[in-house]
Amino acid sequence: MKYTITAAVLALLAAQEGVNAFGINKNVQRTFSRATVPDSVTQLFAEGSQITMPALSSTMKEGKVVSWLKSEGDEIEAGEAIMVVESDKADMDVEAFEDGVLAKIIVAEGEMAPVGEAVALIAADASEVDAVISSFEGGAAAPAPAADAPAAEAAPSGGELPDVEHTEIFMPALSSTMSEGKIVDWLKQVGDFVEAGEALMVVESDKADMDVEAFEDGYVAAILKEEGEMADVGAPVGILVPNEADIASFSSATAASISTPSATATPTTTSSTGAAPAAPECEFSQIDMPALSSTMKEGKVVSWLKSEGDAISAGEAIMVVESDKADMDVEAFEDGFLAAIITGEGETGNVGAPVALIAAEESDIPALQAYAANLSGAPAPAAPAAAAAAPAAAAPKPAAAAAAAVSSGDRVTASPLAKKKAEELGIDIGSVAGTGPNGRITASDVEAAASGSAPAAAKKAAAPAKPVWTPAAGVIAATPTARALAKKAKLDLASIVGTGQLGRVTADDVKIATGEKKVERKRASPGEEVIELPAGFVPFTGMQKAVSNNMEATLPVPVFRTSREIVMDGFDGLYQKLKKDGVTVSALLAKAVALAIEKHPIINSSYSSKEGGGIEYNSDINIAMAVSIDGGLITPTLKYANERSLLELGENWKELVGKARTGSLSPDEYQSGTFTISNMGMFGVTEFGAILPPGQGGILAIGATQEHIVPCNQAVLGMKKIKKMTITLTADHRQIYGADSAMFLKTLADIMENKLDLLSK
Amino acid sequence: MKVYFSAIFALATAVNGFQSAGFVRTSSRASSAMSMADGEFDFDVAIIGCGVGGHGAALHARAQDLKTAVFAGEDVGGTCVNRGCVPSKALLAASGRVREMRDTAHLESLGIEVGEVNYSREGIAAHAKNLANRVKGNLEMSLVGLGVDVVEGRGALTGKPHEVLDQKTGKVYTAKDIILAPGSIPFVPPGITVDEKTVYTSDGALELPFVPEWVAIVGSGYIGLEFSDVYTALGSEVTFIEALPLLMPTFDREIAKQAERLLIRERPIDYRTNVFASEVTPGIPGEKPVTIKMIDADTKEHVETLEVDACMVATGRVPNTANMGLEDAGIETQRGFVAVNGKMQVLTKHDGGDVLPGVWCIGDANGKMMLAHAASAQGISAVENIVGRPHEVDHAAVPAACFTHPEISMVGPTEEQAIEMAEKEGWTLGKSQGNFRANSKALAEGEGNGIAKVLFNKDTGKVVAVHIIGLHAADLIQECANAVAAGTTVQELSMMVHTHPTLSEVMDEAFKGAVGMSSH
Repeated sequence: MKYTITAAVLALLAAQEGVNAFGINKNVQRTFSRATVPDSVTQLFAEGSQITMPALSSTMKEGKVVSWLKSEGDEIEAGEAIMVVESDKADMDVEAFEDGVLAKIIVAEGEMAPVGEAVALIAADASEVDAVISSFEGGAAAPAPAADAPAAEAAPSGGELPDVEHTEIFMPALSSTMSEGKIVDWLKQVGDFVEAGEALMVVESDKADMDVEAFEDGYVAAILKEEGEMADVGAPVGILVPNEADIASFSSATAASISTPSATATPTTTSSTGAAPAAPECEFSQIDMPALSSTMKEGKVVSWLKSEGDAISAGEAIMVVESDKADMDVEAFEDGFLAAIITGEGETGNVGAPVALIAAEESDIPALQAYAANLSGAPAPAAPAAAAAAPAAAAPKPAAAAAAAVSSGDRVTASPLAKKKAEELGIDIGSVAGTGPNGRITASDVEAAASGSAPAAAKKAAAPAKPVWTPAAGVIAATPTARALAKKAKLDLASIVGTGQLGRVTADDVKIATGEKKVERKRASPGEEVIELPAGFVPFTGMQKAVSNNMEATLPVPVFRTSREIVMDGFDGLYQKLKKDGVTVSALLAKAVALAIEKHPIINSSYSSKEGGGIEYNSDINIAMAVSIDGGLITPTLKYANERSLLELGENWKELVGKARTGSLSPDEYQSGTFTISNMGMFGVTEFGAILPPGQGGILAIGATQEHIVPCNQAVLGMKKIKKMTITLTADHRQIYGADSAMFLKTLADIMENKLDLLSK
Repeated sequence: MKVYFSAIFALATAVNGFQSAGFVRTSSRASSAMSMADGEFDFDVAIIGCGVGGHGAALHARAQDLKTAVFAGEDVGGTCVNRGCVPSKALLAASGRVREMRDTAHLESLGIEVGEVNYSREGIAAHAKNLANRVKGNLEMSLVGLGVDVVEGRGALTGKPHEVLDQKTGKVYTAKDIILAPGSIPFVPPGITVDEKTVYTSDGALELPFVPEWVAIVGSGYIGLEFSDVYTALGSEVTFIEALPLLMPTFDREIAKQAERLLIRERPIDYRTNVFASEVTPGIPGEKPVTIKMIDADTKEHVETLEVDACMVATGRVPNTANMGLEDAGIETQRGFVAVNGKMQVLTKHDGGDVLPGVWCIGDANGKMMLAHAASAQGISAVENIVGRPHEVDHAAVPAACFTHPEISMVGPTEEQAIEMAEKEGWTLGKSQGNFRANSKALAEGEGNGIAKVLFNKDTGKVVAVHIIGLHAADLIQECANAVAAGTTVQELSMMVHTHPTLSEVMDEAFKGAVGMSSH
């Protein structure tokens, strides 16, 4: 394993004085200094290195990355295994030769790379990840786009775009009269790949909404005009970059360039609260929102891994911060006690703003909490006794109050449903005693609190179906795999309902939470197979989209339906006779309908809006017949059905159905219909109405043939058995009237009942 | 007598050691010489302990026509047969099948489809129990059949030479030579409360009282590793708690890394290293979890508390040498270990002790190599010495194996130790590797993971050590152990013909590679 160090010359955000990349400003003995905005951008050199495909044996030419043991953004230590490589001889762990952060994986799992080729990039630390990536992508000579982010911040009005190869997307002139356009819809988002010719956005001009296509391949790096915004013709509305890695630089730079100065993040949030409160006279330090990437302006505290009062040690993860790139564990740099949390879970803080205070001595915690309350401008956390005594009193911050109410002193853990219920019922969730795993507040706890009844725990104790166990403080009630999966999925284990032993969260629980696995349902009777029903969204296939469009297309058409019964004994007899020659019911029906249409050409017409409306007659009678194929619907068409013999129609139909099944029908074979038949008789459907296909005047729905007893004077018992079928014509009433429809059906019935010789001609 | 010996020893240490002790030896030897007369002793050899070591010694003693007694201590078969290798192999065999049959991807690659694979915990536990009983029965029958007197009670020294007390009946027997083979018991670190139900050592684990959803295993040596294999195969999740900074601290590092990949990372196992399980409190299955408090090995500060369903303590074993009259006989133990020389003669103490005539110690109690087959070899060696044919066991040639899936096996020092040895002793270390991925048989099984590495002395060509991880590694190590024992060189081994297509060709590749040849 060799790795070459390529020192990339990169300009980076100056971390020395202002924003401390690691989130901690040490403060000893009142020398309290708050993080400030860097007022100058210093040039730094980011050190990146490449991991190359190692030669694991003398005969090895190329290797396959079996698995990455580290993910992008993970810290790695020298000597730590970072990937498994499969050579011609064996799978081997490949170790890192130095400490750093895995910046980018170039060769993904399962992919091969020749020996010596770079498989990943390593950055010296998290803040240099982007710089290292862009230097690799853009070459060492290119200035790091990342540097422009802080530059933009320093001079918000500047708004210069990074010096990386890119293409601007302009507002197109969609008509000769168009001077500006509105972006109706972005069809692609930042980070999406677009191919030349692919629709990128929908623009509303003075004439119409039009899809605007990309002229070249690339990644959407930035959207400069959001949906609903107007832009002058020729003005840039978005940016395309050829390399995915360049996206980051643009998104931040452009965000800064289009944002107003007031919207630019100012890390010193506390300065706006007026005079800085006096720091207490004790040794403490401040944890600031760290800059987890060079483009990060603000971060959201996803979760606090430590609670107020907890002892923390250097190197220990204390919170999870969501940056613009990823969720990262933020570690403490020194030992102490978490005295006060300033930025609660779910809250966002600007980079450099204090998020918590760390006390050197446990005894200093109260003083620091008071100080923190002033610092953040938030009310001091409610005292536990007060919260417990007046549960109904609305706490200023639910989370803070809840933390006080839970006996363990931990942060509040409540199921999402419980939170929702509490909100609905107007209950302070902090006042609810949790009985779920980990002391978690469940929906039933909230309900019990609302109804004033005893906590659910008491009820459960009375009927211990499954013993309730409340894990001790600090214990994570989750199996090793569950922990690993939750970490990977960035899920808070406390938000997952555990179904394992003693309410423990198992791997399956996490998978159910991520949707990877479905809740197992047992069939009432054992032994029966559980039927897996499809769930969730499945996009339409092309054919399904077409069907959907066609069905909607004729919605505004004023259609009407007329039904009629046809005695089928003769028709059936003819069919039985001709069956052996390969004649099908479909061919017989098509022929009968075509012959009836000959007498009533209006049925074969379509409405035309030309010249204020008119009838478009078709000289050909092309009978389309709906065929259901796997996951779709298509209408193969028997052209000139009135002119062709039954045998010919039968053969043609067989061929068309075969093509339909294999998807090889030509457009002419399914788009040339002038009238459609939809037959569901074979399924036993007695009668139904069909939806009019676009461009046609009518569609005939065929029901099943049924036996009926009818009075008959000639019969011995005074009645006889006949076969009847109901047909329903859906027609466009703009040009086809009730009488037309009725006459057509009458003619058709006459042919099928009495003039069968016409068919077999 | 007790007072007498203690006084001697007090004197020995106080004045100038060896001469005083030497006096004892001389006097003992005199009495020993006198005892050669026929019929003076009840037995020629009395063996305390009836494990694999005691059994091996007894069989060999009978083969030498010595009148032999074994004090079984109501534990014929000892740890190996009743609470160790034998039942654990039964669990591993059964759970290994479960693992294989549930590995649908692997089976599908072989063209096999299986439905849901279920097992019965009781059935697997019974298999282990039955196997142990059967082997124990065989072992006892062989003793009786060969004319060994089996005394039921536990034997103890009385303080007088040649005397063995049956602790059950109080009867004292005499024997010309006494072989101590009391074995060992699991070591339980302070702070851990063992109830053998939810918190247990290998003794309790082998009964497989239940299959926990989550089990913590304290210690990541052979025993812990084997049980993690059993548990994960049966569907449990495992957390290793290792006091040292690395997992599998006693293994060759390269092998340990492979093992971590094959046996830990791909399984529902996580681990904490450099921590002690400082306080382990048993639970009640289904009602209360086992609580494990962990402290940092260096700072001793609390780091984490786990609540698991079960906790297995696999932190090594300590000699079972208490309460067997060793002190009375003038034997000073260290952490319970009895000091012996190469001939298995008991020394009065570690570091400069003198030979205690007529007393021998083999197996786990002497701590030389805590393996069943090593104990047996030592027993045979002791008997050889008793009958006047000087013999020493070459421990460097004793192989060992860990029966995980895949197996791990080794003979000789780790690579790290070998590098040190080579430097110190001034020879050049050579290394060659065979690969399972390049072996037709392994590929046919769809088990291409693993390596075999041969460490050899480049100057002499002699094999120093071999470490294997891979399919049937335990069965592959014997050729290597024999080579180490016989001083076979890699040049010789490279010219020996290996059966095709077998896994032994993995070794062939390594031996050939050592001399610059290619096997394929």
